[in-house]
Parts: sequence; C-alpha cells; structure tokens
Amino acid sequence: MGKKKRGGHPDIEEILGRPWCYYCERDFEDLKLLISHQKAKHFKCDRCGRRLNTAGGLSVHLNQVHKETLEQVENALPNRQGLDVEIFGMEGVPADVLESHRSRLIQNFYQAQEDRRLATGNPLPGQTQNTRKKITIETAEELKARLAEWREKRKNGGSMEGVAATTTPAFPQQSFGDSIPSRPPPGVPFGLPQRPGDGVAPQADDIDNLIRMAEARAAADAGEAGAKASKKDKEKKGRMIYDDVDTSPEERIAALPRYAFAASAA
Amino acid sequence: MAPALQFDDLLPPPGDAVTALKFAPSSSSKLLVSSWDTNVYLYDIAQTEINQSPLITKFKHQAPVLDVCFGDDDNVAYTASVDRCVNRIDLETGQITVLSKHGAIASAVVYSAAHAKGILVSAAWDSTLHIHNIRDLGSSPIRVALPGKPHALAVSPSKVVVAMTGRIINIYDLNAMRDLFSTGGTDLKPWQQRESSLRYLTRAVACMPNDAGYATSSIEGRVAVEWFEDTAESQARKYAFKCHRQPAPDGDGDIVYPVNALVFNPVHGTFASGGGDSSIALWDAEAKRRLRQYLKLPNNVAAMDFSNDGKYFAIATCPGFETGQEDYSGVGLTNVQFRILGDNEAKGKSSK
Repeated sequence: MGKKKRGGHPDIEEILGRPWCYYCERDFEDLKLLISHQKAKHFKCDRCGRRLNTAGGLSVHLNQVHKETLEQVENALPNRQGLDVEIFGMEGVPADVLESHRSRLIQNFYQAQEDRRLATGNPLPGQTQNTRKKITIETAEELKARLAEWREKRKNGGSMEGVAATTTPAFPQQSFGDSIPSRPPPGVPFGLPQRPGDGVAPQADDIDNLIRMAEARAAADAGEAGAKASKKDKEKKGRMIYDDVDTSPEERIAALPRYAFAASAA
Repeated sequence: MAPALQFDDLLPPPGDAVTALKFAPSSSSKLLVSSWDTNVYLYDIAQTEINQSPLITKFKHQAPVLDVCFGDDDNVAYTASVDRCVNRIDLETGQITVLSKHGAIASAVVYSAAHAKGILVSAAWDSTLHIHNIRDLGSSPIRVALPGKPHALAVSPSKVVVAMTGRIINIYDLNAMRDLFSTGGTDLKPWQQRESSLRYLTRAVACMPNDAGYATSSIEGRVAVEWFEDTAESQARKYAFKCHRQPAPDGDGDIVYPVNALVFNPVHGTFASGGGDSSIALWDAEAKRRLRQYLKLPNNVAAMDFSNDGKYFAIATCPGFETGQEDYSGVGLTNVQFRILGDNEAKGKSSK
C-alpha cells in the first residue's frame, strides 16, 4: 500500500506519473506491474502460454514455433491492435497518443475535482476561503492630506461620520515614493457609533483620536464576528426532528383519537 | 467493499406502527412484535426457510400494545397496553389475562427469570412501577412511585434501569425486589439514582449482557454508555457520543434524529442503535468504535432485537413522529425485517 494522501484524492502529478498500458489504457502502480500485465494480457502466446516481452517477439515466436502469423495484439482497444508499434512498458508509445492520454487525464481530474467541489461545497485544495482585507498602504503624504481633509471637515462643524478611518499603523514609508498607485479619494462613510461628547470635544490630539477610532472599529468588528460565531455554534447543534423534552412520541401518538382507548369498551 | 448488509422482510407485516420487538428466550427464531393496531404478532423466522409464512399467530388486545416481553419460556409473554393493563398471554392457547391495572397507560414491561426469581416489572405514565411476583400470581403487585414519568425500561441480570422525565435514571436491584416478596414489604428504594448523561429526553435504555452497565439514547441523536459500579474509575469511564444525524440539505448544520432503539448483542456484547434517520449502526462499547452501519432502511427504526444466540437480528421500521405532527399512522408503512448475522458481523474489535 502506498502512502495515502489526506482526503484520499491523489493530486494531478500522481495521476500523470502512473505508468499505463498503450494497448488497453489501464494504469498501474509501477512499471514492473505494467510490464507483467502486458506480458500476461497482450504478449502471451495462446498456443503454449509463453509470455513474450513485445508484440514483435510474440510474432516471431508464433512464426517460428507454431508456424502461424500474428494478426493483432490480443485484448487491445480496437485502434491499438496494430503490430506496427513496438511497445515495452511505457517505451515506444507514440508521442501523439501520449499527449492525448495526458490531456484526457488532466481533463478528467479537473472535472472530478469540480464535481467534488460542487457536491461538498468545499474549496479546492490549496485554495482557502480566506477573504481577508488587503492592507491599504498610504504614503505619509496621503495620510497627511487625509488628516488635513478631516480637520477641515471638523472645523466646518461636520460630524465624525464623514471620516474614513482606514488607518494603518504608522510605519516608515518614505521609501515607497511614487511606486504606490494613488488611492481613490476616501469618500465612503463608515457607520461608526457616535462617540459620546463628540461635538463638544476640544481640539484633542488628532492622531490620538484617529487611533482611538480605529480601536473602536476593530472592537466593533471583533464583537460582530464573535456574535456571528456563537450564532453559528448554536445552529450547528442542528434541528431536532423531535424536541419535546417532557413528552415522548408514544404519548403524543397515544393522545391521537385513532389510537385512543375507549374506557367504555373495557 | 463489504457485502451489502440487507434485511429480509417478515410477511405479512403488522397492521400499524410497531412499539416493541423481542426474541424468545429458548428458540432463536421466534419473536414477538407489539403494535399500535392492538395486536401482538408471533413470528418464527425458521418458517421462511421452509417457505411457510413466518407469522404464526396474533393476539388481539383491547387497545394498542406499547410493549411486550417473553416470560420464563417461549410460551408465555407479558404486554403493557394503552388500556392501562399489564397482561399475561399464554402463547399456546392464546388466553390473555390481566395481571394488574395502572392508573394511566402502561408503557413498558420487562421480565427477569434470573436466579429463579420470576419478577415482572411494568411501568406506566402515572409515574409508577408495578412489580409482579410471577411465582405467586395470586398476590397483588407491589406498587412503587417514581420521581418522574418513565420513558424507557431495561433489565440486566441483576438490575432494572428506569429512565424518566427530568433526566432521572433510577436503578433498582432485583434482589431487593425479591426480598420484598418474602418480607411482604412495599417500600422499594432505588439501588442508585442518577442524572442522565444526556441532555434531552431519554428514548431507550439497554443493559449490557455481562451486567456491567447500560446504554441510553435520547431524542437528540446521542447515545451514552455508563457502568453500574459506583467507583470513581468506573464512573470516569462513562461517555456519550453523537450519532443518527444528517447534514441539512441547505448545508446549514445538522438534522438531528431521535435514537429510538438500543439493543446489546448477547454473544459479543456489542450494541446496535436504530434511529429516526432510518439507519442502524453497530457499536463496540468497550473499544468506543463503530463496527458498521447498515444500508438505509425504508423508514424510521422503531424497535430491534438480537436472538438469544446472536444468530438473528430483527428490526421493525415505521414512520417516525415529528414535533408538531397533527396526525400519525403507520398503516401500510410498517415493516418487520431480519437478517442472519455473519460470524464476525457484530464482533467487537480487538483493542490494538
């Protein structure tokens, strides 16, 4: 027994790496098995049972020992019965046949994988459903510009709601320069809960403010995720076909008129 | 691939849903089936081998029969019925005699012939047990009040396990019952009172044939296995596991089915669980392994039993009752089936 992959489905390299028989398209664990298969199924003399190495060898054997001529390879697919190709194991397989076999394997493999994916709803191996947000990287200039914009808005008496708080931890970014494509204007408002005393807050440290807002948002996100997780857990418990914890199904059935016992009949 | 594990029908089937199915104590091919159609059916599987109808006869009751069990031999049976009565049936003459009457529907009966005691215990939905001395049928039964409504009853060589509402499990000692017969006392204390290991209503109880412990199942697709011995080591061994569930078709969580029936194999000590998901699984309680799962059945598994020699495995299938169901009928949808177990089919796995 070879090593089994987790999940039980071999990968495409494994499938393509398997030796296979030109005559009948069967594939085998290793080359030795393939050769013994060919000798037993395709290169065996039906007169004396001798197993030859190739079709040519069998042809010569038949001719010399039994005075017969070999017409075709036994047990072969209709289009592979010819004696014109000299096959031994995987040697001698014409390039076009090799190629068509390979492409068919690949097609079957991806078809099977797709079928499994549709059937199970699982992502393909190697692909995760991780749709984590990309970290947006701002240059120092962009950050400053956004800060200025925010200050402007605030001075004009705007509420905090207009602020796009997509802050990232400030780390040295000067080396990025122009290689970063410019961000689209941060115009999408976030539905942040209004901080208490926002409107009357003095001109506090703006950076500090931004950090606190980012924290609040992260906490809100985490809270939501937590709520979602616990909800899912609850649903994972499943729907019970019968969920009465005091009355058994038999009691329910016995209470139905068709099964009721008429005391008068007693 | 394992060979297809299929069941053969016993025809004709009962006229309505099945409540219990029990093999005879001596003959391995005889079994009794009680049904909501007020009949108790006596089948003999051996008749199918000579192309005869396996249905020997049926015993009509006044009301639906909720449980049945054999007595000392293959000729006596006891039943619990919706008319509140606990009955004795002479299977040879067909004569039915009422042994006692409960204050509500009698739901279960078990019989123990161990140590020549001859004790019949019946349970009813008025939260009582009746303990009958079969060696002295003239005496009136001892009435024992239960702390909850009994939902499942099982007997081991030395104990009786009663599972009730409120997750209460009482374990009674058969010797204590016998002592009551001789002293004339009526006050029976449970040998042990336990809280169920399962969170939901107990559906079935089955005792290990080696008298070491028992298994319980609940309406919430779960089975628990525990041991009688009241030591820390033995109690630490108890466990529960989920089973009889199917992924919901919309991919959101599982649909959880009740586990309606549990039965231990008398030879190998493994046990079978049958559920509302119309499937049966065999388990090894010691090795904590599933041995096999049978092919999907046409309907819910209502009752099962192994024959005394472990040769036959018989099951009854009928529609299940779901929450909120307004009406119910098992007419035409009930089947009794059996299979002959392979030599190693129900054998436990050797612990590696």
